[in-house]
Amino acid sequence: MTVDQQRLGEVRARVAHWPFASVLVANRGEIAVRVLRTVQALGLKGIVVYHAADRGSPAVRMADAAVEITGATPVAAYLDAKQIIAAAKSSGAGAIHPGYGFLSENKAFCEAVEATGIRFIGPTPEQIDLMGDKVRARNFVEKAGFPVAPSAIEDDDPASFVERARKVGAPLLIKPSAGGGGKGMRIVRDLKLLESEIERARSEGQRYFGDGRLYVERYVESPRHIEVQVLGDGRGKVVHVFERECSVQRRFQKIVEETPSPALDDTQRREICETAAGIARSCSYRNAGTVEFIFGQNGEFYFLEMNTRLQVEHPVTEQITGLDLVLEQLCVAAGEKLPYQQTDIRAQGHSIEFRIYAEDPARGYTPTTGPVLVWQPAQGEGVRMDAGIVQGGEVTANFDPMLAKLIVTGSDRNDAIARADRALRDTVLLGCKTNTAFLRRLIAHPAFVAGDVHTGFLDANPQIAADPPLTQATLDKLLAVSSLMTRPMRDVADSVPDMHAAMDGWRN
Amino acid sequence: MHHAFKLEENEINVELSRARDGYRVHIGERVLPADLRTGADGRAWLTIDGTHHEIVVAARGDDVFVHVDGAAYQLRYQHPLDRLAASLHGAAEDSVRAPMPGSIVAVHIKTGESVTKGQVLLVMESMKMETTVTAPRDGVIQAVQYDKGQTFDRDALLLSFEPEVKA
Amino acid sequence: MKRIESRLNTSSAEFQANAAHNRGLAEAFKAKQHKARFDRPERDIERLENQNKMYVRERIQQLLDPGTPFLELSSLAANEAYDGEVPGAGCVTGIGIVSGREVVINAGDASVKGGAWYPLTVKKTIRALDIAIENRLPVVHLCDSAGGFLPLQADLFADKYYAGRIFRNQCILSKMGVQQVAVVLGHCTAGGAYVPGLSDYNVIVRGTGAIFLAGPPLVKAATGEENTVDELGGCDMHTSVSGVADYPASSEEEAIAIARDIVGQFKRPEKTRTEWQPPEDPYYDPSELYGVLPQDIKQQFDMHEVIARIVDGSRFHEYQPSYGKTLICGYAHIWGYKVGILANNGVLFNDSALKGAHFIELCNQNRTPIVFLQNITGFMVGREYERRGITKDGAKMIMAVSCSEVPKFTVMCHGSFGAGNYGMSGRAFDSRFLFSWPQSQISVMGAEQAANTLADVKIRQLQRQGKKLSQAEIDAIRDPVLGEFKRKQSAYWSTSEIWDDGILDPVDTRNALGISISAALNTPIADPRYGIFRM
Repeated sequence: MTVDQQRLGEVRARVAHWPFASVLVANRGEIAVRVLRTVQALGLKGIVVYHAADRGSPAVRMADAAVEITGATPVAAYLDAKQIIAAAKSSGAGAIHPGYGFLSENKAFCEAVEATGIRFIGPTPEQIDLMGDKVRARNFVEKAGFPVAPSAIEDDDPASFVERARKVGAPLLIKPSAGGGGKGMRIVRDLKLLESEIERARSEGQRYFGDGRLYVERYVESPRHIEVQVLGDGRGKVVHVFERECSVQRRFQKIVEETPSPALDDTQRREICETAAGIARSCSYRNAGTVEFIFGQNGEFYFLEMNTRLQVEHPVTEQITGLDLVLEQLCVAAGEKLPYQQTDIRAQGHSIEFRIYAEDPARGYTPTTGPVLVWQPAQGEGVRMDAGIVQGGEVTANFDPMLAKLIVTGSDRNDAIARADRALRDTVLLGCKTNTAFLRRLIAHPAFVAGDVHTGFLDANPQIAADPPLTQATLDKLLAVSSLMTRPMRDVADSVPDMHAAMDGWRN
Repeated sequence: MHHAFKLEENEINVELSRARDGYRVHIGERVLPADLRTGADGRAWLTIDGTHHEIVVAARGDDVFVHVDGAAYQLRYQHPLDRLAASLHGAAEDSVRAPMPGSIVAVHIKTGESVTKGQVLLVMESMKMETTVTAPRDGVIQAVQYDKGQTFDRDALLLSFEPEVKA
Repeated sequence: MKRIESRLNTSSAEFQANAAHNRGLAEAFKAKQHKARFDRPERDIERLENQNKMYVRERIQQLLDPGTPFLELSSLAANEAYDGEVPGAGCVTGIGIVSGREVVINAGDASVKGGAWYPLTVKKTIRALDIAIENRLPVVHLCDSAGGFLPLQADLFADKYYAGRIFRNQCILSKMGVQQVAVVLGHCTAGGAYVPGLSDYNVIVRGTGAIFLAGPPLVKAATGEENTVDELGGCDMHTSVSGVADYPASSEEEAIAIARDIVGQFKRPEKTRTEWQPPEDPYYDPSELYGVLPQDIKQQFDMHEVIARIVDGSRFHEYQPSYGKTLICGYAHIWGYKVGILANNGVLFNDSALKGAHFIELCNQNRTPIVFLQNITGFMVGREYERRGITKDGAKMIMAVSCSEVPKFTVMCHGSFGAGNYGMSGRAFDSRFLFSWPQSQISVMGAEQAANTLADVKIRQLQRQGKKLSQAEIDAIRDPVLGEFKRKQSAYWSTSEIWDDGILDPVDTRNALGISISAALNTPIADPRYGIFRM
């Protein structure tokens, strides 16, 4: 399904009346490009901030204006709210789109932005605050009558936390209250280790989030991660835009996301999607958001958390619905009402997103770095590549190792998988090792083909991550190419006089 | 066999020669005719042992990058003089290298400090996890290459020891 | 150039029989060669292994550029000497390609008597260095020798062409600006120390390599001083203290890699320009040479058939095709290089000798290297020929050959008897390279002839004393002479004595000549100048 051009045209006709004519993207990489694409398609001016490390990046090249920001580290620059707001002011931005990560779910930033009169393209500060704290979010959802997993919250009574955690029972999961993205999470299967694991999680939480508070909850064995995209206009209207299945994860981070989920039948789909919409509606949610659930092997599901931003994996939803989620975010931020009824949202086909990471799956998914000497993204029907890299650039350890997202859409899941294999095969990145070969092995695995995966799938099947032995034929090709491209070797061969070369290894 | 490439952890010997009708690659006991034509943007055509393959190639320094059979590979040329010298001088324990890219969280030692085997030298962060780097042997720290907060690539030299004095 | 029209019937019984016979001879040669190269007493192989040393042929293989040819010289030197205990004369010499440069390799073979120098070792080494001098080829010495073989010191030490000549040749090479690198892979003691010492560059292996005028036992005996090998002449001492050696290496592989890198720094010589065109394989299969050569040394065959199986495209421009037909003269190309060819097609008469002398002058005038293909029973004898001045005409040919300035190459294809050997540029006439085919023979006259002559002298002597000999007694005198003669006229004796640069399987001749001609063109060709041609 292609993006709804009619909707784009209608909105474009109105943007002259919007309260902002330019949007500053407070992010980098592929998401900055993604946001700028819609901003510019609407005829708005797209501005981006960038750290020197991103000077030649596609977002900077694409933006109508770019403002350099500085920091002790490149990441620190993108986390520096003051500098970014100053950049927005100096560039005359009327709105700020935070992307994902960085300041996207930072209440103080949201408040500071709105205090200057610039629109924050996202939820209200209160909604960020509510959903940003796992404990508060959980309590809110539970009170609203939606399912949550058994848990123990440290803040309730710090003195009895360990004891209450023990009561939740093994297996359990320790999470930093302020956390997200899998950082600092620890599974405890042996309660003897509970106290030491709590201490470790606390120190990581302290370091990552400046907040050592924790909570524990029942760990659902072999769970699926299913999330639901929602859209709210902040005036009470909320629709869901179907689910995404994000169960293929490594180190609690998503690698492959798809929609529709192969785990759900129509009844379950309706139930989980309406639950999500209900949760968002309970807080009169504004912006695109995602309600995440843990989905057990028996079909039970619990609220996990709500992300009050655009998700990395939003494109699969766009691909099967034709919606432009960034467009909808902009409309809501501009004060428009959601024009959709739930029944207007329809899906068709199957879409899968692959996160192309600079990492080496065979070495425990350790990040890799290197120059982007050649970058030839796959092309073809049903193939979308949202990339934040450019040929001639450099992959460094400065940022998250996600380089690009390959989104492949087909008429059904098998069709999408077949297209994905071709697209992954044809995606060329030379200079820095990526996980594309691993992704091909993953989608060839019978369990993936059957849609039978869970969040621990890759840990349980480490052979998928291991480099398969090279065939002699491939090795021969590699050695031949390398030899022919290496000057000292070629020089030796070329310096042999023609006659002697023609005699080859003759001996008398 | 003088020339070699490192592919992952393996060092593979290979030789290149030229015959009447083109190049020959010597792999073990086998000798294969090979030809490489490079075009724009890294696209290249490899002919090996009579079969043709469309591939993508790039090179930087001693590294050769090849996209072939649907996957990308990196091979690092090992110059015979370096390779043969290293195989015997081998003072690997005089240097501590980064097992993965990351950044320095804490440095616990100073240049000139004596350390004992197993002592924590520095703490690095990579993949959202902290890893401690410990001393591979007793010795004196000769140089520390990074300060807190700095980032480094895989195999970067993190710190070096004074060479061991042989009794 | 016109292609030679072969008249050979390759399906004839004669061809088939010849082919089987000569193939057998080639195989026997290869078998002898293999034995000389690889057949070693167990203990010698073990000793090398214990010392962590590579076998000399592995060293050479590592030294050479991959996929390039190596023309080994005199592989069966000394094989008929010293009871066959010093195969290849205990060293390996040859021409190969290192870092793209043509070089002479001179390598000691420590698996033979610890690499000790026998008289023929010295001769073979000197010959290799003479080749380097004549053809301006850089030299790589792979040194691993126990020193001179003391029991035979009188036969290798003092004379003009004994061991001192090796060092003299090294100095001459250096004076000529031809570079040398020595790799010290074992002990270089006494005279041997000068091989690295006189090289422009040298590399020494830590642990196994050492250089000293006298080893620890001799020093102790002489002065009472006690030393370890390393203290006295080891790698680190010489590369950091004495400056006798240049590059330290931790292993033989590294030492050889360094040597390759050093050769890679040598300037490339300007080749002498002679006529050249892109090479073409012979039209006729060189392996048919086996069927061309007769089984009997006395039997004639058409040398055109040999030429057709050696030269480019089997093409040949024949000079004076109808005059002096027992000596074929003409131009051809070998591996693209234009050559003049002189090939015997019978005994040398007055006209053929004059034709030969004239053709050699032509080649010198137009700077064309000459290839001699010998199958010669000698110059014609008898009253008529003496009256026509066969000696005078033969002298003209020998004068032309001797004073020739273009490089000469000789192949002993079959017989080489009498003064014909000289007229066709035998060993004494400074051919740059001289090779023999396995069945070829060299002697002052045929074996039967010689044995009969010798027996006759003896019989006449006895007759003068009044003795009459029975046939059995005559045979008893004649047979040992015949046997000894046959042994010493065989190619295996020649090659053992280093009267040639090695026996070749006939099919290898084209490549051997190609490498030889290419090497020879490193030296400029002077303008021709002759002595007095007796008119």
